[in-house]
Amino acid sequence: MSDDKDETQQRLKAAIHFTVGRLCQKTGEDHRRGFSRQAVAAIAETAFRQCDVFAKDLEAFARHAKRSTVTSEDVKLIARRSTALSIHIQNKTEELNQEKKSTGKRKSRDTEEESKE
Amino acid sequence: MAEKNEDIGFKKDTVSKLLSSFFKEDKTRLSGDATLLVAEMLKVFVREAAVRSQKQAASEDCDQVDIEHFEKILPQLLMDF
Repeated sequence: MSDDKDETQQRLKAAIHFTVGRLCQKTGEDHRRGFSRQAVAAIAETAFRQCDVFAKDLEAFARHAKRSTVTSEDVKLIARRSTALSIHIQNKTEELNQEKKSTGKRKSRDTEEESKE
Repeated sequence: MAEKNEDIGFKKDTVSKLLSSFFKEDKTRLSGDATLLVAEMLKVFVREAAVRSQKQAASEDCDQVDIEHFEKILPQLLMDF
């Protein structure tokens, strides 16, 4: 049973590593300075661990609000330390709300995704 | 063609599974919007890490961004988040 969990974690780590690699490559291209493999791996590992921090905080905030579902309000809270980040997340939230209003399709697509899982 | 920065990002599914694996309680769920926002937070986190590491490498006149550059900027990055 624990092997399955490890395998899942490994796959998730690999997925994170992949996207981190692409983001680093893009940044490297923009500034004409490549990232060493070790550097990319370290950033990926840190991002993975940061997710743990996010998850625990989000869960705590939701529980504090007597909810069992983590919402965008909780995410806004974890972005509170940096003003720029806070504003960025708020803008993103409004963007998502706008999308929902303009196309009702989004919600049905969302439920389709969930039932596939 | 170079991809726009907005195109690269974390998949909603990956983020959702990742966060769920870290939750302490089984009953904790994640809304769709929250997942997308966390994906965005992660993207910003990684981008900050990359850009700051790159700047560090530049200040040391290095051609490549190495792990030492990342290590130097890591403490401030974690505090800023």
